[in-house]
Amino acid sequence: MSTSQKAVRPLARCLRSLQSQRQSANNFRTLSSSARCNVEAVVDSTPEKPIFDPETVTSIKGEKALMKSGILPIGSRRRRAAIKSSDNIPFEQLPYLCFQEARKVLQEDREEKLKLIATERLRISNMLARDPSTFKGGVLEKETKLSSMRRYLEWLKIQADINDPLIKKRFEDGEGDMNKPIYRYLADRKWREYQRKIIVQRIEQFGIVPDFLPHFEPTAEVQLAFKNRNVQPGEYIDSRVSEVAPRLKVQVFNKGERLVTVVVIDGDVPDAEKDRFGTRSHFIATDIPLSPTDTSIPLSKVTKEQLVQPWLPPFAQKGSPYHRLAVFVLEQQPGQPKVEAEKWAERDNFFLKSFIGKTRMTPIGFNMFRATWDDGTAGVMERASIEGADIEFKRKKVVALKPKQKARGWEARHASDKYKSLRR
Amino acid sequence: MASHSSIRTMMSPLLASFRSLALTPASSNVPRTTSLLNSSTRAFSASPNVSFRGGPGGGGGAKKGNSKSKKGGPAKDPRIGLIRYYLQHPQTPRPLRFSRTRALRHWTIHRAWMLARRKKLEAEERELYRMYQSMHSACEELRLLDAPGTKDEGRLYRIAMEKKGIFGHGGVPIEYARMQTDTPGAEAWNHGWTR
Repeated sequence: MSTSQKAVRPLARCLRSLQSQRQSANNFRTLSSSARCNVEAVVDSTPEKPIFDPETVTSIKGEKALMKSGILPIGSRRRRAAIKSSDNIPFEQLPYLCFQEARKVLQEDREEKLKLIATERLRISNMLARDPSTFKGGVLEKETKLSSMRRYLEWLKIQADINDPLIKKRFEDGEGDMNKPIYRYLADRKWREYQRKIIVQRIEQFGIVPDFLPHFEPTAEVQLAFKNRNVQPGEYIDSRVSEVAPRLKVQVFNKGERLVTVVVIDGDVPDAEKDRFGTRSHFIATDIPLSPTDTSIPLSKVTKEQLVQPWLPPFAQKGSPYHRLAVFVLEQQPGQPKVEAEKWAERDNFFLKSFIGKTRMTPIGFNMFRATWDDGTAGVMERASIEGADIEFKRKKVVALKPKQKARGWEARHASDKYKSLRR
Repeated sequence: MASHSSIRTMMSPLLASFRSLALTPASSNVPRTTSLLNSSTRAFSASPNVSFRGGPGGGGGAKKGNSKSKKGGPAKDPRIGLIRYYLQHPQTPRPLRFSRTRALRHWTIHRAWMLARRKKLEAEERELYRMYQSMHSACEELRLLDAPGTKDEGRLYRIAMEKKGIFGHGGVPIEYARMQTDTPGAEAWNHGWTR
């Protein structure tokens, strides 16, 4: 390759890509060699400093120059070469016969679904305009019919878009707009495939359902993080990490704005006097706005009006078994009275069931972590001015009522340490 | 283990023929798969009790079978060795992998195919139902029809419901051609029969 050619290569590439974009808009023919003729026309123009694209750079020199300027080339060199030599045809225009036929079929189906949606909307508006006395069952029948029609409309909306490959791609890339029903549906399906199953398992294995609530079906995804520490459901968290309030990411899958209440409860507070375990609330905040698009709830940044009980760092005294710290997200009824901070100031013996019963909220999301005594617990308790860091819980020695029997038979014969491995 | 060895005795000639057919015949030693087996973490075994230790000849179930390896340890299931051997052999074609866009195109075509198939099925069902309904309504029409003259009502309906000639004109159902028995006759066909 001569020097002049080398110098003009980036420029020519630039032109070629421009041209290919124009070409792809018009037709699919990519193999023509005649269209390159205008490249030669600019050969004798002045060469400039080459600009490397991280998507298409293939030469080692170019890669080095890019990396020097702090940009890493994207993908493998093979991939970059493939991208460079191909025209940037948009995905839906890729010239594959079967693919295009399939797209035609899917589009036809979508048109049908859109027509159905239009008729269903019309039917709903007609039903709304009708007087409830014309129904046999009155208002109740009208409401039932309307709700079932709305459900059918939602189903149609999802069915219209569920076969679109670009929607699938956008959802997989995490670029889905949660205001649209199809993305909410896909997100819900994905959540139910794995994450919800884990949450449900934790609810079962940690006895959340009889201990905290009589029954509970999670419908919203709740992720928990202390600063940059993501918490897997049920994980043991160091007391120094959980000293500051966590950040919640709550994804709801039904549309609309709503207000939620976040409650954090310790379900295993030892009560030595009564010889049992009690509960204690560690955090309560109400009237937190939540929608499918705005999902983050940093508990340390709730306002004073929202706060009912500030964050009390979870702690477990020495010798007590692990404490389950349950984070519940409760959805408030629209227009319900505000939760009074004075009324719910008591932390000990906080019962979620009675709280829900009195405030008429519905639990939608759940996550949990565990706390045990560790090296930092004493310091955390001191900083939060909680007493009792020096207390150590010990099991009460239960004296057997029957005197111990002398070993007889096989046990007596194998009493020596020689048979230690045989003993249970 | 007895079942394993019986399976092995059953399969070994088959396998030997397959090996000689498909792969370059390895005369006595275990083929080159050992290094590949050591490095790979793909576990196709469904039985959890067999721990696969990547020593030499670890996957040589095709050759060694259920005989205990010289180093000791539990005998491996020969089936696992066989599966590993053939799945991870260099001559086994690699699994089909699609690029992102290709997978998406594949998915699009798949969805369109499923949709088209379902639509066709539903259309066929609808057509059948329509035909049945139209037949039914025609019969209903006949039943309610007044007969001319002294003939009684619904005469045409009764005539339409007659099952004459459904086995051909003057025919009988094939079931009546021979006495129905539980087992076929001793003589399957009488070739010498004449009227």
